[in-house]
Amino acid sequence: MRTNQTIVMLCLLGAMLPAAAFDFGNVDWKKAAETVKKVQKANTDIDEPQEITLGEGIASNLLGAAPLLNNPAVQQYVNRVGRWLTLQTERPDLPWQFGVLDDNDVNAFAAPGGYVFITKGLLAQMNSEAELAGVLAHEISHVLRKHHLQAIKKGARTELLADLTNEALKNNGKDPRLTKLVSAGTEVYARGLDKNDEFEADRMGVVIAARAGYDPYGLPAVLQTLQSLNPSDSSVALMFKTHPALADRLSLLDQEMTDHFANQENQPDLGPRFFQALGLGKK
Amino acid sequence: MKNIIALCLLLGFVSSAWAGGTAYTIRPTELKAKPYTDAQTLTTLPPRTQVEELTRQGSWTQVKSTSFSGWVKMLSLQLESNVQNKRGDNGLRSLFNVASTGRSSSTVTTGIRGLSEEQLKNSKSDPQALQAAKRYAVSREVAQRYAAEGKLHAQSVDYLNGGQ
Repeated sequence: MRTNQTIVMLCLLGAMLPAAAFDFGNVDWKKAAETVKKVQKANTDIDEPQEITLGEGIASNLLGAAPLLNNPAVQQYVNRVGRWLTLQTERPDLPWQFGVLDDNDVNAFAAPGGYVFITKGLLAQMNSEAELAGVLAHEISHVLRKHHLQAIKKGARTELLADLTNEALKNNGKDPRLTKLVSAGTEVYARGLDKNDEFEADRMGVVIAARAGYDPYGLPAVLQTLQSLNPSDSSVALMFKTHPALADRLSLLDQEMTDHFANQENQPDLGPRFFQALGLGKK
Repeated sequence: MKNIIALCLLLGFVSSAWAGGTAYTIRPTELKAKPYTDAQTLTTLPPRTQVEELTRQGSWTQVKSTSFSGWVKMLSLQLESNVQNKRGDNGLRSLFNVASTGRSSSTVTTGIRGLSEEQLKNSKSDPQALQAAKRYAVSREVAQRYAAEGKLHAQSVDYLNGGQ
């Protein structure tokens, strides 16, 4: 009990530092403990503006790791396709931002708040706009379900999260606590998400692509292509390491997609528009 | 006739720009005459039957071999790995200068920039690049117009497996 009182008192000290009175004579310990819990919860719940600020920091880090492909036409194209997909989701008004990274690695990344990046190495493996849409929709789903925020919460030290106050996130990105969170957030890409989050993003991705009017089988087609790549090549190392086995992902999609897309099966894949937009003309 | 073909090309009515590959069946697979569940079943292909992919239509892949041709469920196939696969040879790799690294994944990456595990852990923030990226963001209206140009129609579809 004594220890508990000490903990509560310490926490209260932290939470009430600006308060002038330090009279502990009549403290209701039970109530105080509840207050502490509430303060902690408030501090670890990340609201949407905070999510966007954090995502912006993480996206800046990703762009520090790999530059943006210097091809305005391709960047605009991917943004048009991606933005259309987001309009079919439950978070259409986030500041959605898409980008192609100038890197040979085969990978894609989503950051909180609506940032989605794919590498040119992955783009080059695709054969239609429906395939691009499937991959973007998978990444969009990570943002919708806040998978990275959860991974950051899981991985970060509790005291770091307790520090996640409005103050830290509103301080123009200069606060060292924000820097720590952003770097924790960037490390999630090296570690990977929970594999159930990946399965969920697959499941949601095919639906979002279908809602947007595309052939829903674009995502499985890309996964199938990736399955044929040499797994010992360094360009696929991180993607393979941080995602569940492609055979498992395809097998789950196979089970769940059967009979669900009877009315969307013959939607267009816009193959010609894809190659044209990327500068390859009509194939 | 020539004009009709030219018109089709112009309007983008080319049925497929899809490049297939060499694949094999991963389970007993019905070979259908047409890409429909209730189409005539030509034969049942045993697992590990090798096929050449021709085109894909929704969940169906058109395949052929020396002894048969028809349609199979796309997800009953797996692409052969470690062979030069046509799917990865669509012209984009050379366009974007995507070299096959030839590096083994166990090779230590020494460069400062890149997307390997180590490089991601040590990446330095580039907020200017993010500002540059933001120039390409598009509005709702632009996206809707582009979708309409591609004749994409929004559909109402529920998430799978009780998702939200």
